[in-house]
Amino acid sequence: MSGLDWAVLIFTLIVIVSYGMYKSRGAQNIQGYLLASQSSPWYSVCLSVMATQASAITFLAAPGLAFSSGMSFVQFYFGLPLAMIVLCITFVPIFHRLKVYTAYEYLEQRFDLNTRALTAFLFLIQRGLSTGITIYAPSIILSTILDINTTYTTLCIGGIVVAYTVYGGSKAVSYTQMLQMSIIFLGLFAAGIMVVHLLPADIGFGRAISIAGKMGRTNAIDFKFDWNNQYNVWSGLIGGFFLQLSYFGTDQSQVGRYLTGASVSQSRLGLLMNGLVKIPMQFLILLIGVLVFTFYQYNRPPVFFNSFELNKLERSSYNPQLNRLKAEYEQTFKEKQSGVNKLSKALELGDQTEINQQRIFLQQADEHTKSVRKRVTELMLKNDRDADINDNNYVFLSFVTRYLPKGLIGLLIAIIFLASMGSTASALNSLASTSVIDIYKRLLNKEASDEKYLAASRWSTVLWGLICIGMALYASKIGNLLEAVNILGSYIYGTILGVFLVAFYIRHVNGKAVFYAAIITEVIVCVCGWQKVVAYLWLNLIGCVLVVLIAMLIQLFFKSKAGTTTAMQQRSA
Amino acid sequence: MSIQHEQQQDQEDTSASENNLDLPPFVKTWKQFYLLLVGWLIFLIAAFYLFTKYFQ
Repeated sequence: MSGLDWAVLIFTLIVIVSYGMYKSRGAQNIQGYLLASQSSPWYSVCLSVMATQASAITFLAAPGLAFSSGMSFVQFYFGLPLAMIVLCITFVPIFHRLKVYTAYEYLEQRFDLNTRALTAFLFLIQRGLSTGITIYAPSIILSTILDINTTYTTLCIGGIVVAYTVYGGSKAVSYTQMLQMSIIFLGLFAAGIMVVHLLPADIGFGRAISIAGKMGRTNAIDFKFDWNNQYNVWSGLIGGFFLQLSYFGTDQSQVGRYLTGASVSQSRLGLLMNGLVKIPMQFLILLIGVLVFTFYQYNRPPVFFNSFELNKLERSSYNPQLNRLKAEYEQTFKEKQSGVNKLSKALELGDQTEINQQRIFLQQADEHTKSVRKRVTELMLKNDRDADINDNNYVFLSFVTRYLPKGLIGLLIAIIFLASMGSTASALNSLASTSVIDIYKRLLNKEASDEKYLAASRWSTVLWGLICIGMALYASKIGNLLEAVNILGSYIYGTILGVFLVAFYIRHVNGKAVFYAAIITEVIVCVCGWQKVVAYLWLNLIGCVLVVLIAMLIQLFFKSKAGTTTAMQQRSA
Repeated sequence: MSIQHEQQQDQEDTSASENNLDLPPFVKTWKQFYLLLVGWLIFLIAAFYLFTKYFQ
């Protein structure tokens, strides 16, 4: 990075963090600290909800996914608009009316303390683990730039985020997220323009997409139903709907965001606008990955994008084998480049026979490139069994640092930092809310003063920050970061959603039935997940449906048992 | 019995408070806004399908 990039990066971070801290000054009570005094307008709710969901992982891993396997990931978000509608009709009015701090408070009013504690506990596990991954993502950036291990960068980034969140509270989170999202949109637009600009003169936007399309990277839609396919229309609409409904309806990091809305209408409008904007935004982020893919058909990409791991291998005794693979990779790239030029000409002339011929050739060459890269990762694992072999997260980052002009590199890296800080801040704030409101205030210290609860919230944020940093240090051992977060959520979200759906819609089921149903379901979902019975998105649906069905069965059993006991009592009398 | 009564009361309160809500922008009712969102989703899926077919 040049001096100008460092200046842009540091300036952007200081301005936004200072703005958030300035705006959050005077948060002297727990309502202000955890719910931003419930005064946010709809656009603030919308941007805050988007910023919480779109972490740095979104901007690092999504273009990498598009680069390696195409745009099918966009289907993951198809259930989101439908989930927003259900939230606006059911969840938002009830949460607002009951004036709850956390979603789990409602469950005690509807069921009992056990159910509230169980769901709060599941949330704390899930969010605590996934926030670790959220902190880890931007630490990759510094690791690549400074060529040092991610452990040190994780500790550094995590420390800054925790300090900022402890001071800021919910109000600071909302204010900074508004500014962050504006800069993120601006930066991504600039990155998209730059990728097209960097392509050869005769390759415009449309041609670039066509070339990527012929190599299987524009696969945005797949209508074929397959239980084991992670991303198709049906898994996105059905599984995605349940995942998004669980995430936005029962995950305190999101509930806490829209509860900051000044009224039911402001919260609703914020969520519905999120439903309108989210899918196109994700599509555009993936499209940038597709354009980067085409760019790398004309410019030789490194055999492995994570320069830290590649350098480590080059310094090892496996360097001769690596050099042989590099030579094979170089040869394949030259053949591929010639094929891409021929394909481009055929597209210009509309020569369908040649297009088909080159498409088959390029797809085979692409497979060969993947096989060389796989062999490189095998060498890396031989050299160091803890090596970070998932390269998707480094594709976009490597492109930004190597090819974008000075100044813009700093801005894009600042964006990744800001995105991570925003979502991490929301998560830490929600972890503190749940720990203090659902555990400390409810179970340990019911009659303390507001000041004491405020102090507990700050200390809770510090504690969770330390736990999340600890988790982040292990995140490099997990494959693709974005998928890891979603998979983890799918293990738990379905169960929690099932509990809430029973609470809202099945009036005759009581707390005892739903509590045992949730425990049984969680065991079944974990077994299904570990055994990979179905693709992970379906776990949300399975968890949710099982809770509802088992709770109804248990309720029926209790009822008939109660009926039998009464009949026996009557007979003996 | 008391739980059911409370829940019925909750529903009535919710309906009453919803009647007092502000109206959404661009459309006349919240229901129309929901339909707009469903229409937007169908449009996006159709557009992405055409995108996939055209460039593949």
